[in-house]
Amino acid sequence: MGALSLSQLIDLVVGGLAIGCVYSLIALGFAMIMRATNIIHFAQGEVMMLGCMCGLTSLWLLPALPLPVVIAVGMASSGLIAVGMELAVYRTLRRRRVPIMNIITATVGMSILCINAARIIWGSEPLRFPELFATTAYDFSGVRISPQLFWIMVMGVAIMGALQFFLKHTPTGLAMQAVAQDHEAAQLMGANLTRMMAYTFAISGMMAGAAGIMLGSMFFAFFEMGFITGLKGFVAATLGGLGSIAGAMLGGILFGLIETFSTVFLSSAYKDGIGMILLIAILLVLPSGLVGLWQKRR
Amino acid sequence: MAEAQVTAAAHRGGHRRGSVHAAALLVMAALIALPWIEPDKFALHVLSLIAIASIAAMGLQVLLGYSGQLSIGQAAFYGIGAYTSALLTAKLGLPFPFALIGAGIAAAIASLLMVPITRLTGAYLAVATLGFSIIVYLFIKNEEWLTGGSYGFIGIPRAELFGYVLRDPRSSYYLNVGVAAIVYFVFARIEGSRFGRAINAIRQDADAARASGIRVTLLKSECFVIAAFVAGLAGSLYAHEVRYLAPNDFTFWKSIEILIMVVIGGVGSLAGAILGAAVVVGLPEYLRAIGDYRMLVFGAILIATMLFGEGGLAALAATVGRRLYALAMRLILKPTASRKAAP
Repeated sequence: MGALSLSQLIDLVVGGLAIGCVYSLIALGFAMIMRATNIIHFAQGEVMMLGCMCGLTSLWLLPALPLPVVIAVGMASSGLIAVGMELAVYRTLRRRRVPIMNIITATVGMSILCINAARIIWGSEPLRFPELFATTAYDFSGVRISPQLFWIMVMGVAIMGALQFFLKHTPTGLAMQAVAQDHEAAQLMGANLTRMMAYTFAISGMMAGAAGIMLGSMFFAFFEMGFITGLKGFVAATLGGLGSIAGAMLGGILFGLIETFSTVFLSSAYKDGIGMILLIAILLVLPSGLVGLWQKRR
Repeated sequence: MAEAQVTAAAHRGGHRRGSVHAAALLVMAALIALPWIEPDKFALHVLSLIAIASIAAMGLQVLLGYSGQLSIGQAAFYGIGAYTSALLTAKLGLPFPFALIGAGIAAAIASLLMVPITRLTGAYLAVATLGFSIIVYLFIKNEEWLTGGSYGFIGIPRAELFGYVLRDPRSSYYLNVGVAAIVYFVFARIEGSRFGRAINAIRQDADAARASGIRVTLLKSECFVIAAFVAGLAGSLYAHEVRYLAPNDFTFWKSIEILIMVVIGGVGSLAGAILGAAVVVGLPEYLRAIGDYRMLVFGAILIATMLFGEGGLAALAATVGRRLYALAMRLILKPTASRKAAP
């Protein structure tokens, strides 16, 4: 592949970090739901896709909307959709005490439902986002960075930071953490299980919605976009150690970097495969993901 | 039509193995008679596809239902089997029976690569099998010299047995249903065997099984190889039934489809796997009339089915059958009972 100039290297790192932020946000949703309910939420990618579509629709209706508002629209609609899924389906399934495999299959059903609903509503053509970002590159003392990637990184980090603050320092966030650790003990301490579950789905939906807007603006909005991206988010969450918040963030960013670099240095046709080989290798060496690294040392 | 018969098999089955076998024989008789009652080519083709899908689903049933390992990568072995069989017959000119067995063996050998990951459990195992299936899909799509890539693999000969080419949809129907029946009876034997009881023990509690002297990792790997072998067989049958392979037939969705068959039908039930295959393959064909909305309806039906709980459709059918039987008995017995009470 030849030598790589410094600016090319920086481009790659920035691109990898930006797409990594998107994966992190999706992985966070997987991890939060996994922690609270043990469900692999296969419809997470579709929640993201629907958020992206709703954000795009808001832009069609009001073309002058600034970026933060579009993101907020995407987050809100994805959050509502995820809560709707939880209240309408998953909660009912849990109450009926069906085995976990059934709930996981129901999430696949939900995913099929969302993909086909989106195809009927928004059509099957890829939809382009209007320009949301400045087109001239930012110049940081000689290092040129695309505004789009820059803002995606900034927003991704800001949203993840806000989530960490919410989980660590607010009563609701702490109650959610407690519910995730032990349903019964948390209930005995006065946490409302049903409500905390709904909040968990709301927040994981919001993360996915933000990711959807970012991804849609980088590439395009498409009814099938959630599928492969959702899988990658799941892989990222596993990479970090399923069910760990910090691990999911780290796993997502790492997965983004690996994917970007392997596309350039190895093969773009096998782009998705290299991540998978790496994933299998990591799982064999560290069966509990990256978090296993520092949790064992404690 | 086939669905109704398989349903009948499931509810006649109940819990006693003896009645399961009797029901299976009855269904077999019905399946043998079927092409003479319903000679429509397309219907027979769909029934063949259901038989093929049920082979792959029964393999996953052994893996998930018997030994408790969740794989969402069965499409990888299905695809390996399909392309191996296509290559062996179209490129090397081997006769079909060799290609069929060769496809199973190739898939089983590929699954040996996965042996190290049987140490993983639950979601980790699932994601690793998923990764493997994505790698196989990319290989099929990108290695054009071998698989035809996105253009697909064309020119696959029809299946032939003992020099007789199965040109008639009726004869290929018999081939597919026959292989499915063999797989069913072999797996039904496994269930009660020493091996079957050992993997059942692993599913319930791996540590306790290990403490009782069961070689957990070895047996788990064996289940993987068995599931891969039959998925390979299914792939081979598919290749010669459809006679055109494209990478898109072997995506992650295919794995999910096979998983859906097992869960809809009822985890742990062989008849359930067949029932699930009939629903997953047959229902979208049946719903074709509603066009764009069919997958929407399919998704909704899938979610609704999950409400029935652990046993899936097999258990539901058994319950419905038992209720109907009780109702019928009451209707038949009531008049005599009331007559006795009257005077």
